[in-house]
Amino acid sequence: MLEKPSVIKRYRLHVGTIAWILHRATGLLLVLYLMLHIWVIHHVSQGPAGFNKVMKAVQSPLFLFLEIGLLGCVLYHAFNGLRIIIVEFSREGVEAHKQIFAAMMAVAVFLFLVGGVPMFIHFLHVLAG
Amino acid sequence: MAEYIFRVFRYDPEKDEGTRGRVQEYKIGVERGWTVLDALNYIKWHVDGSLAYRRACRHGICGSCGMTINGKNTIACEQQVADLGTQVVTVEPLRGFRVIKDLIVDMEPFYDKLYAIKPYLIAYSDPPTDKERLQSPEDRKLLDGKYECILCGCCTSSCPTYWADKEFLGPNALMKAARFAVDSRDEGWEERVNAIDDKHGVWRCHTIFNCVEACPKELNATRAIVELRRLMLKGRL
Repeated sequence: MLEKPSVIKRYRLHVGTIAWILHRATGLLLVLYLMLHIWVIHHVSQGPAGFNKVMKAVQSPLFLFLEIGLLGCVLYHAFNGLRIIIVEFSREGVEAHKQIFAAMMAVAVFLFLVGGVPMFIHFLHVLAG
Repeated sequence: MAEYIFRVFRYDPEKDEGTRGRVQEYKIGVERGWTVLDALNYIKWHVDGSLAYRRACRHGICGSCGMTINGKNTIACEQQVADLGTQVVTVEPLRGFRVIKDLIVDMEPFYDKLYAIKPYLIAYSDPPTDKERLQSPEDRKLLDGKYECILCGCCTSSCPTYWADKEFLGPNALMKAARFAVDSRDEGWEERVNAIDDKHGVWRCHTIFNCVEACPKELNATRAIVELRRLMLKGRL
């Protein structure tokens, strides 16, 4: 018997699949961020000079830009997580998971713009010096 | 009659040993109203008799012809070729299972998962009458959407969780477990719960919903799984 047959066409991506892949990806990125965050914060033990040095590094344009991505990851992971909770615990959530996804993403995109636009403007300011 | 190209997965254990299978193209005319199964039958009967696939009822009730068509699981006898919207149709064996030949997969692991949850009515008490265990219409209604499964394997084979964890019971077995969990006549919860309440059981599901998209009977296995989870949560609180 053939254990691993070759695939002719990739399995179709449905809304639920995409939501799950993004949830995994943002979840892993958040874990990475958390480690970085702890690493940065631990510099406090080196006194003001050491802490200020590392804070200066993470306030560079690169990190300011990445922070916008962090906001996106947090918002996606939070609101898709909320969708999963509704699917698990509400009576009809399972049937309406696509609509719930659309609604959650609308809120997430709105909040991303509310937070992301000022962050991007700040990023441009810092970039321009 | 419209021209279609069928790209069919082929694997002959005698000729293709050591390979991961190959693709064979068939250019055939498809008549209006043909399902993918009709097209496969045409290929087998008129073009290439060596093509192997399972089929029986062609009415969507035997569950034999589950396969991956254009990257989505369904039963070939219910999939109209015209509805696919492409002139090139890919036909592959159900993924997640071992291939025996061409489109025929080894369904044993799938059935093993089903046996693991004891898919039959378990009752210790004597029947209330000497004839049968009666059920009220309301109680009977609870089984709707859970008992109609035809065991085609489309759900479990579409599940990314099952692709990654071959021990996972899968949507099919868990839906059957839910079907008996809500059956007013059944007394077998204690016997089944160990298999269901397991890291390869009901908690493994990531609510990806591929099984719901794939089910040709339009059953909602994810609903059954979250209902089981709620039952377990209630039992623990």
